[in-house]
Amino acid sequence: MEELILQLKQEIIRVLNLEDVTPAGIADSAPLFGEGLGLDSIDALELIVLMEKRYGIKLKDPAQGREIFTSIRVMAEYIHANRTK
Amino acid sequence: MIAIAGDNIISSLGFTAEECYRAVASGQSGVRLHRSFMGLPEPVMASTIDRERLADSFAALSPRPDGYTALEKAAILSVSSAAAQAQVDLADASVLFIFSSTKGNVHLLDETEAGFSRSHLYLWHTARLIAEFFGNPNAPLVVSNACISGACAQLAALRELASGAYRHAVVVGAEVLSRFIVSGFQSLKALSPEPCRPFDVARAGLNLGEAAATLIYRRVDKGAEATAGVALLQGAIRNDANHISGPSRTGEGSYLALKALLQEVAPADIAFINAHGTATAYNDSMETAAITRAGLSAAAVNSLKGYFGHTLGAAGVLESVISARALAGETALATRGFERSEAEHPLSVTDKNMHAHQACCVKMLSGFGGGNAALLFKKFKPR
Amino acid sequence: MPQVIRKYCHVTHRSATVNGKAFPVAEVDGEGKFLTALYRSLKIDYPKFFKMDSLSKLGFLASELILRDEEPRFAPREDVAILCFNRSASLATDALYQVTIRRGDGCYPSPSLFVYTLPNIVTGEIAIRNKFFGETSFYVCKEWDVQQALRMAGQILCDGRTRAVLAAWVECFEEACEAFMMLVDTENQPGIPPEEIAFSTSKKTTWKN
Repeated sequence: MEELILQLKQEIIRVLNLEDVTPAGIADSAPLFGEGLGLDSIDALELIVLMEKRYGIKLKDPAQGREIFTSIRVMAEYIHANRTK
Repeated sequence: MIAIAGDNIISSLGFTAEECYRAVASGQSGVRLHRSFMGLPEPVMASTIDRERLADSFAALSPRPDGYTALEKAAILSVSSAAAQAQVDLADASVLFIFSSTKGNVHLLDETEAGFSRSHLYLWHTARLIAEFFGNPNAPLVVSNACISGACAQLAALRELASGAYRHAVVVGAEVLSRFIVSGFQSLKALSPEPCRPFDVARAGLNLGEAAATLIYRRVDKGAEATAGVALLQGAIRNDANHISGPSRTGEGSYLALKALLQEVAPADIAFINAHGTATAYNDSMETAAITRAGLSAAAVNSLKGYFGHTLGAAGVLESVISARALAGETALATRGFERSEAEHPLSVTDKNMHAHQACCVKMLSGFGGGNAALLFKKFKPR
Repeated sequence: MPQVIRKYCHVTHRSATVNGKAFPVAEVDGEGKFLTALYRSLKIDYPKFFKMDSLSKLGFLASELILRDEEPRFAPREDVAILCFNRSASLATDALYQVTIRRGDGCYPSPSLFVYTLPNIVTGEIAIRNKFFGETSFYVCKEWDVQQALRMAGQILCDGRTRAVLAAWVECFEEACEAFMMLVDTENQPGIPPEEIAFSTSKKTTWKN
């Protein structure tokens, strides 16, 4: 799990172009949207692409993403339970 | 001010403005389910131009039909039809072409496309091909301002004709669908799997559409207003300054654009507002907020997206053509797909064609980049 | 009163000048990193910059160079318009997006690239940063024509509301970037004569047929 969390942080920094952010700078349970990393609606859509491309998880409804993308830890747990690749 | 001298629409509903207007007035839609669209995995609801009819019509117009993409053919056919009606010599230096498109021939980036040089990827090149087809000597203006392009092009016509340098402006908007455009809107989760339902409480996204549409405008000199027919009086563009792809919750830019027009017209003189009405949750809420803030919630509001889909860079021209005809015909057209408003701040969205005798109508548009536009049309009856 | 140029800047992928004077940029770290180095040298904190495509970064930086010492900054206003021109619209980003939709197993359309496949997004980015609610427009033309830009800025300044226009050429093509931006108004006569400014663009930005 810890390995997945680190990998996920690196992926998120890369696909969302979070310059000046390091994996150590993202708390595992900090909120990703609003405060925290300050991600927006396009970032959420890009995370949906990441889930599918990297982990083979297809989210049908963007609203589903809102629950999964609450923090890195929640996201990693979801990936762990549902990944197909 | 500038008056409409000729118009045309090439779309799923027909190849003339008259044909398309009649189809809309009788409630027909050109939006169809495409089970497979250019190799994309999901089915798409879209309104498309009949390619066979396009090729045949273009071959009948031009002795050299090769060398033009489908988009260029549609735009040239559209201008040709409008010009026949306007009886304007388009080769004259007093005529300015203004082209509006968001993505032009972007499909040529696809590795499976062949037969055209990459120069067709440049919007200015396509615009030149169109103007040169008619022998026009001027460098055309090309607007690429996302989904408000068609309104910006008309505002540019108003300004250029007011400057006195030209007598006529040919405003042509064109958009064809590609794997590029459709996949992009899919990635934004903006498309509805069903026919779109503008302003309806159960709306689930937009349908895309293809079209070419033309408005030929002539300058109306002071004192000659009575013979103008339907004229474009004023236009305004304002930015939300909020987000590049999400509409402002408060409708700031649309509200400011409407407010600018209201210096020229009293709400009681507005026959209808033709909204952008894409049927996405956010767009229609944003327009509802803007119209309400502008004090126009009593005005009849409609959207034409249920008939043609969202035709992007052509939408501002196409929907102005239909709205100008509806204004002349004293009709506020029905909003196809609309049944029931949201409970909060309901607008007077049309659910059937309604009589509307007032002299003015407003066309609204909004787009990515935060741009919002509003145009004010007025009909003049000869005494 | 005629419109005049009050201030201007020129940014390429290797230099930046304001009113003809070089703007110092420290530590360019590698090929294609000049815009990032310029961002750092401007000493602003705007993480959204890193999410922009090259065209938006370029236009954004040009606007920062012009507006950085304007007062008041960031007060919401409706009387500033943004009018941009270029040659290849968003083709550079279009080509990047196209890669994400290749046929077969590798088709994962990128929403964050797709939203930048419109040239006018740069006008939106500048409007958002500065809270400019005025007109924003984007035109595509074969070549930069400063007289046309001034004339069209003048038309906007006649609308009874607009008091200043940021008018610019903003072109990005592969690694080559070039922006000319000017702040145009009618108030600070006589302004900078356009003939004093070297406004010619380099002409190497064409795709081979």
